Amino acid sequence: MKRILVPLVVALAMATTAAAAPRVSGITVYAASSLTDVFPRIDPGPKYSFGASSTLAAQITQGAPADVFASANTTIPDQLFAKGLVQKPVVFTRNRLVLVVPTSNPAGIQSVYDLRKPGTKLVIAATAVPVGSYTLQVLKQMGLTASVLRNVVSRESDVRSVLSKVALGEADAGFVYSTDAKTVPGKVQVIKVPAWAQPKLTYAMAIVASSSNKAAAQRYISEILSKAGQAKMLAAGFLALPKKKTG
Amino acid sequence: MSGRGARRALLGLAYFLASGVALAFLVLPVLAIFVHVSPGKLIDQLSNPVVTDALIVSLKTTVLAQALILLFGTPTAYLLASRRFPGRSLCVTLVELPLVLPPAVAGIGLLAAFGRFGLLGSTLGWFGIGLPFTQAAVTVAVAFVASPLYVRQAIAAFEAVDPNLVAASRTLGVGPARTFFRVVLPLARGGLIAGEALAFARGLGEFGATIMFAGSLEKVTQTLPLAIYAQFEVNFDVTLAISALLILISAALLISLKLASQWQPSTPTSHSRFGLLSWS
Repeated sequence: MKRILVPLVVALAMATTAAAAPRVSGITVYAASSLTDVFPRIDPGPKYSFGASSTLAAQITQGAPADVFASANTTIPDQLFAKGLVQKPVVFTRNRLVLVVPTSNPAGIQSVYDLRKPGTKLVIAATAVPVGSYTLQVLKQMGLTASVLRNVVSRESDVRSVLSKVALGEADAGFVYSTDAKTVPGKVQVIKVPAWAQPKLTYAMAIVASSSNKAAAQRYISEILSKAGQAKMLAAGFLALPKKKTG
Repeated sequence: MSGRGARRALLGLAYFLASGVALAFLVLPVLAIFVHVSPGKLIDQLSNPVVTDALIVSLKTTVLAQALILLFGTPTAYLLASRRFPGRSLCVTLVELPLVLPPAVAGIGLLAAFGRFGLLGSTLGWFGIGLPFTQAAVTVAVAFVASPLYVRQAIAAFEAVDPNLVAASRTLGVGPARTFFRVVLPLARGGLIAGEALAFARGLGEFGATIMFAGSLEKVTQTLPLAIYAQFEVNFDVTLAISALLILISAALLISLKLASQWQPSTPTSHSRFGLLSWS
């Protein structure tokens, strides 16, 4: 079995690499941490810098040499657009917030409500980071703000830091995107956030105003929005874009 | 003008230009922090609770870490300076290693050792001690990265103590402990203070290991450097204020270090290691 399986896996890996041939090169893409795995899979061509959308925005404000900015929300790109730092943002995907616990689930958490248990070590992202603000929205929606925030032991700088603290088993629980949870299979258990408490979680991207290669930046954005690009986003667990709005 | 004279003048000019560039390069970023915002605004931001909370966390953890470093580092340095035993240079190298480790590696190491599922972490867990995300974790991280600076300097300071003075004290019937406190320690004082100042400065600036091992939470584990990182995307003025504060503290430490080195007793006449003497 192994004899057949190994070459098969190798061939498959080669096929996927071939499929992801670089198309747009010579640009730098600043993208939210949650896009760390999927963006290079869509196009390995550009140089990537992944981090909290808020950190990347602060760097762009300070004149960082980015050509494209992809944020885990629409608020930050809209703010940069208002300041003339990026061109008009476009929505390119959606996501969902989930609660993750280590596979061993040391605190025995079964639902978001269990986070109220005293002594639970909850890790969330800083308020300025999109996932941190989504987390606060969920807790507010569920009426858990005071009782759960009491158990927060760390406010991490981006979503992947929250995930790694939970995957390592240091924290009892953390709020991340469902797509992040998928990147550490076997290390975390996913607990759903009730649909009625889910915030509107939309990602937007834009060409950076100071980019010296706007044509390539536009090509990159089109590539993400293309059928093939969106298929890879869906495969990574991102949600389809809402049907075109009228007007 | 002779050719040699011209060459010498050219060389002088090259020295002058190179040092001018180097000095400007090193001073400019520090100066820029103070120029970027008006002093009034800087002082205003210092009363921001984010800053005061972080200052308290930083001071508490750094002072505690320094106490631990002095308590454990001083005997370690004395032993390594005064005794010759197989494996001594290996010990010195191991003690110095955290000095050259990238802070992120220190953070991973601390998690692997003291984390919930770390080497000692599970044992600590039995006793109900969970280090990560606590102020104790910040202290541990600071002690880990800062102690080599002190121990290294302390070894050198103890080695520089004239062994004849120690021998004289011992032949006059003074016990080893009393000799240590009345002779060795005062003679090594300058070097010890200098080492401690360096360790304090390094501890105050600790970032990488702390954020990985202790996380970041206002009033609990968010030290001044972590507050700079957290506020970078929220309020740039606050980060400037914290930076200015850290520059002032570091400059004060550096000046005290320079003063401390002046207290150093005159250089010993003999460089032989008094460790060759026996002290029973």
